[in-house]
Amino acid sequence: MKLTDSEKRMLSGEHGRVVAQAMDYLVQFGDAFGAERFVEVIYAHYPAEMSIYRGNVEDAVEYAATGARVRVPTTSSTLACDLDQWEQLGCPKKLADLQAQVVAAHRRMGVLGTYTCTPQWLGFVPPKGAYIIAVESSAIIYFNSVLGARTNRGGVFTRYSAVTGRYPLMGYLLDENRRGTHLFKLQLGPEDLRHEADYSALGFHVGALVGSEAPVFDRLPPSTPTQLLALGAALATSGSVTLFHAPGCTAEADTVEQAFGGARPKETHVVTRTELRAAYDRLTTIPDGGPIDFVTLGCPHYTLEQLRGVADWFRAAEARVHPDVRFWVCTNRMTKQAARWEGLVERIEAAGGRVVCDSCPVESHMRTSTCKEHGLKTPQVAAMVTDSCKMARYVGDLIGCRTALRSRDECLQAAVRGRLA
Amino acid sequence: MPERIIQARGMVKGRVTAPAFVCRRAFSFLGDVDMDTGEVIARGHEREGETIAGKVMIYPETKGSSGGCLVLMVLAKQGRQPAAIVLSKPADPNIVEGAILAGVPLLCEPRQDLIASVPHGAVVTVDGGRGEVRFDPSPA
Repeated sequence: MKLTDSEKRMLSGEHGRVVAQAMDYLVQFGDAFGAERFVEVIYAHYPAEMSIYRGNVEDAVEYAATGARVRVPTTSSTLACDLDQWEQLGCPKKLADLQAQVVAAHRRMGVLGTYTCTPQWLGFVPPKGAYIIAVESSAIIYFNSVLGARTNRGGVFTRYSAVTGRYPLMGYLLDENRRGTHLFKLQLGPEDLRHEADYSALGFHVGALVGSEAPVFDRLPPSTPTQLLALGAALATSGSVTLFHAPGCTAEADTVEQAFGGARPKETHVVTRTELRAAYDRLTTIPDGGPIDFVTLGCPHYTLEQLRGVADWFRAAEARVHPDVRFWVCTNRMTKQAARWEGLVERIEAAGGRVVCDSCPVESHMRTSTCKEHGLKTPQVAAMVTDSCKMARYVGDLIGCRTALRSRDECLQAAVRGRLA
Repeated sequence: MPERIIQARGMVKGRVTAPAFVCRRAFSFLGDVDMDTGEVIARGHEREGETIAGKVMIYPETKGSSGGCLVLMVLAKQGRQPAAIVLSKPADPNIVEGAILAGVPLLCEPRQDLIASVPHGAVVTVDGGRGEVRFDPSPA
């Protein structure tokens, strides 16, 4: 890689050992993938160290103690527990105490303790064309597709980019790698794409067909940010999609032709409500009318408006969560504070639900592997209803429960009845 | 028989000579291997009970998006990391990150099918800087 004078100075140790080490790792990384040079990143979404991964939190504490500090605005992804409610949610004390140690480490480093998968809802909205580095597949695909910012799928090395402000120019940062590859002609009416769950089902269907390539949606109707977020999260779950185009909704291409950059699609598919229904069915293993013990909303983390929707639903329904059901609506702690101010948290809690922050079922102690390490019974959940394909897929694999994909209102109804309608 | 030299794409530099640990199927660090010992613990795995510590791993691709890096880091802290990794398919960034942090030479896309031609346990020399895999094809 060709380094600028400033980068050479960082690498040589002029800015201390930590920066030199970080640059050395990044140079090895860029060289491995044939990157010509570095670019400066303006923002990083950092992989918060989690207590469910051996040695991870200890590593954060150690790194912060070296004096490492981030050079760009940096938010952090989710933790293994809700730092405030861990006990009520069943997290072992050992795990919670260990997890809490990252807070001081992040403060030392200048990493903002957002502990969320949706930093964009906290105002971190990089402009079109901006180079950033992010972890969290649902945030990555949102930044790339909806905002037109440029990031690869960040890993542990996001830390080194945050500390140096650099990332190798490669992958999705390059124009030629941002073209669409597969065309999806949508034959869907407004009644087919109404709820976030519908967008999630669409993404789940398409992701499996494109793997790690870039789908282009023809005739995706005008959609809200949370609907596009649900679509992206599912694309990144059934596939490993990093970027999609939906002319009219996403930032980079105004037409299908533009999305493909003049090239022909590798494949063309038609999507009707039949395919969406199939996605729903694939993720629904709880029989109709069957008992459930868990309902999750907020994958990805809910906005203030979405929390209001849940609180309003409970008020209008004048109903409570069934005593045999755990109901988690997940968000980040900043949004939860705003929701508290609005009286929303009180309403949801009064109805027997929990507003969970910092984490979610997938990232929690409830994973089978974590339970085995801590002597907890498995599975921690028997049957979960959710409006997110991502949540359904991951809890099915990691927690071993049955799942059902339903719209938000159907999820709430199930939470009240204790059964899948 | 003369030593065979096979070109590959060198991703993470370093030169090492060690016994080969050959797997026919995709390998998942998170789940397949014990993080303390490097022993393959996944039930029914083709190499169940064997250890990757100090071996040249040769396998098609890594399964799982984030496990490779985290597990390699934990293994390296205890000196139980593999000696090198050679992948048939293009290396994913996560395993490359782990290899850099753990100091494990990593190569990918060898010009010949190593899984078919390198006997499990045969001594191989890999050079991540030069992108080379050398081994003696005659039986030990």
